[in-house]
Amino acid sequence: MSDKAEVNLSGIKQSQGVWLVKVPKYLSQQWNKATEKEKVGKLTIEKKQGKAEVCFSLDEQLTTLSSLGEKGTSLQVPRDHPFTMHTVGGQTLAVFTQNDTDEISLEGMVVQRAECRPAVSDSYMKLKKLQIEESTKPQRLSQQLEKAVTTIFKPVANHTVNVKYEKKKKLEGKMVRAERQVVLDKLFSAFERHQYYNIKDLVDITKQPVSYLKEILREIGVYNTRGAHKSTWELKPEYRHYQSAEEEEAMKTA
Amino acid sequence: MASLGSSSSSATEYTVRVPKNTTKKYSIMAFNAGDKVNCSTWTQARMERDMSARRMYGEEEMPEGAAGSEFGKKQREEARRKKFGIVTREFKVEDQPWILKVNGKAGKRFKGQKKGGVTENASYYIFTQCPDGAFEAFPVHGWYNFTPLAKHRTLTAEEAEEEWGRRNKVVNHFSIMLQRRLREQERGEEEEDETEKAGKKKKKKGGGRGGDLRIHDLEDDLDMSSDDSDSSMGEDGEGKSKAKKEKEAKGKAKKKKRKSSENEAMEDSDDGDYEGLEVDYMSDESSSEEEPEKAKPSKGEEHPKGIDEASESEEESEEEKQNEEEAKEEDEEEDGKKTPVQMEKKKKKDSSGESDSSDDSDIEGEAASALFMVKKRTPPKRGGGRGSGGSSRTGSRPGTPSIDSAATSNTLRAAANKLEQGKRQPQGPGTDTPAAKRLKMEPSSQSPAPSGKSTPQPQSGKSTPSSSDVQLTEEAVRRYLIRKPMTTKDLLKKFQTKRTGLSSEQTVNVLAQILKRLNPERKNVNDKMHFYLTE
Repeated sequence: MSDKAEVNLSGIKQSQGVWLVKVPKYLSQQWNKATEKEKVGKLTIEKKQGKAEVCFSLDEQLTTLSSLGEKGTSLQVPRDHPFTMHTVGGQTLAVFTQNDTDEISLEGMVVQRAECRPAVSDSYMKLKKLQIEESTKPQRLSQQLEKAVTTIFKPVANHTVNVKYEKKKKLEGKMVRAERQVVLDKLFSAFERHQYYNIKDLVDITKQPVSYLKEILREIGVYNTRGAHKSTWELKPEYRHYQSAEEEEAMKTA
Repeated sequence: MASLGSSSSSATEYTVRVPKNTTKKYSIMAFNAGDKVNCSTWTQARMERDMSARRMYGEEEMPEGAAGSEFGKKQREEARRKKFGIVTREFKVEDQPWILKVNGKAGKRFKGQKKGGVTENASYYIFTQCPDGAFEAFPVHGWYNFTPLAKHRTLTAEEAEEEWGRRNKVVNHFSIMLQRRLREQERGEEEEDETEKAGKKKKKKGGGRGGDLRIHDLEDDLDMSSDDSDSSMGEDGEGKSKAKKEKEAKGKAKKKKRKSSENEAMEDSDDGDYEGLEVDYMSDESSSEEEPEKAKPSKGEEHPKGIDEASESEEESEEEKQNEEEAKEEDEEEDGKKTPVQMEKKKKKDSSGESDSSDDSDIEGEAASALFMVKKRTPPKRGGGRGSGGSSRTGSRPGTPSIDSAATSNTLRAAANKLEQGKRQPQGPGTDTPAAKRLKMEPSSQSPAPSGKSTPQPQSGKSTPSSSDVQLTEEAVRRYLIRKPMTTKDLLKKFQTKRTGLSSEQTVNVLAQILKRLNPERKNVNDKMHFYLTE
């Protein structure tokens, strides 16, 4: 998932400059519904007494807003949107793109900033009203119940969880002391995988009663009372053959 | 495109398209106008994500399996975090800053941080004009604010606090960074064994601590060097011209190993004496002094040492040379390691309790210290300039342990060989370096040893060398007893079960038989029965 480092600068050499336009959310939603032809509208640029006036008018088909929830009311999204032009004064803006293959290329520089505003009309007002209503709805609702919940906390002779647990224990049966050698083998193989073990985990692994296990452990291992691995058992130094990764490499290369 | 020839104002119409199938994701790269960035001047640019935050999210990894790991550690950590409600934020690559490098190594560098909240309420679109006149609009997925990164050295937070604490004392603020740079540079040069560039103000400061560590681990010298630099740092505040003088003085301080006391006296007297004095840069004096010094980076630091130390440092410089040849940058850090190594050796020897038995432990000690060298890394504190060095060091970690162990194994073998030879020449000259080392390091290890004599030590030192397989023979026992009186306990210690391969019971029996045969003389020292033989 690494991005290729090299930036393709070809775009910026040729490009004359792009516009950065801020577009309201509903409009961009409409644009996403555009058909195959991709045409969403047209941009009219007028030069009136020196100033350029830019206006965007949305396509006819895209004006119908499919609003959710309420049937019958299909709102009309306003069609005309004059652009407010700004200069790119305080910042130097450039545009770059990222591919699927994570290739980066610099597309161009922003020469003009604009804001797309809707021309105020009744339909716009209605649209806004709807939006506000939706946004004021709380995300979480409190619901009143008619009847109190009585299915939990019934007094029970024995909880289901406990019953299951006891059954499981019965199946397993008491832990039987296996041969010392067998247990030792199990312990050694366990300590091969990890260095430090809790007594509980060891009991789990070996399925031996705690006292017996402790006896064996006292013979081959040592109990850490302090330090990073507190209250854990580890093998005695003479039984250990741990090699850290570095030493292994050293062994290989040496 | 339909262009209407309309009324007074000329209006042109363009169609706007929003392409659907584009695989490209558009983002904004914003620079501050004050940085005067002109993208058209860029010849080459590289940009990648800054993944340095991944460490924080990755948590420190315990060794997986085998040494050092604990069973069920991960689950336990997870449960613990849940219990305390610690929510670690996911590391999202998409949100990481960009690092932009323009025009190669010498060019500018920028860091682009993602600006949040851009796509929440309004969408940005990029309108580009196509050749056919129509506009195409692309949605913007992210906005990154790019700020230029400083190439010059800056202070970290800790360093800044340090300097802040000294602001009342320091008058010349301009030289603060200069001094740091010089210090770094000096360290860098030492490591790379380069000859110093004469001319500019690249004088050395404060003795080059790496060099000090390398040579001797005597606390005094270390303290002195740090004191020197501290005092010189304090003196910094007294004017630039004085700074020049100081640098020279510091340059001299570096060679304090040769003329230590003299220079220190000079330093002290410097205080305030030369204030306001306009002094020319004394290039010839200092640089010439420093160049020959530079020429012998590791060898021959003739600090105060006796014969023992001389032999010891020989061995050290041997080891050092090997290390330096193979790893230039790792020099200093290895040197830093040398002190722990020697400390370890010392400790090992102290614990053995007798100079004779320290033989075995010597080799063990060296083996152990080889391991410790591999594990322990004493990262010396460095400024930012060394950051990359540090990271490359860790990157080359696989390389160095092998070097270290190879070097130490070489010396181990060499030591073992020497010991063998030493054994064959019982009256050989006491120049066995391990033996000599032992001598120096264990002047007082004779605590339980009954011999109140100190003179037998050199003798015993040199003729003790025992190889790793010691045979419990009459010859061996005879040798020991001739040298000095020993109790049975001591004798047993000499013939450890591990070495001789006999069990403790057997050792006792055999030893008893040998003693019967030898029939040594007895004497009572400290209420203990000692055996000895006279030749």
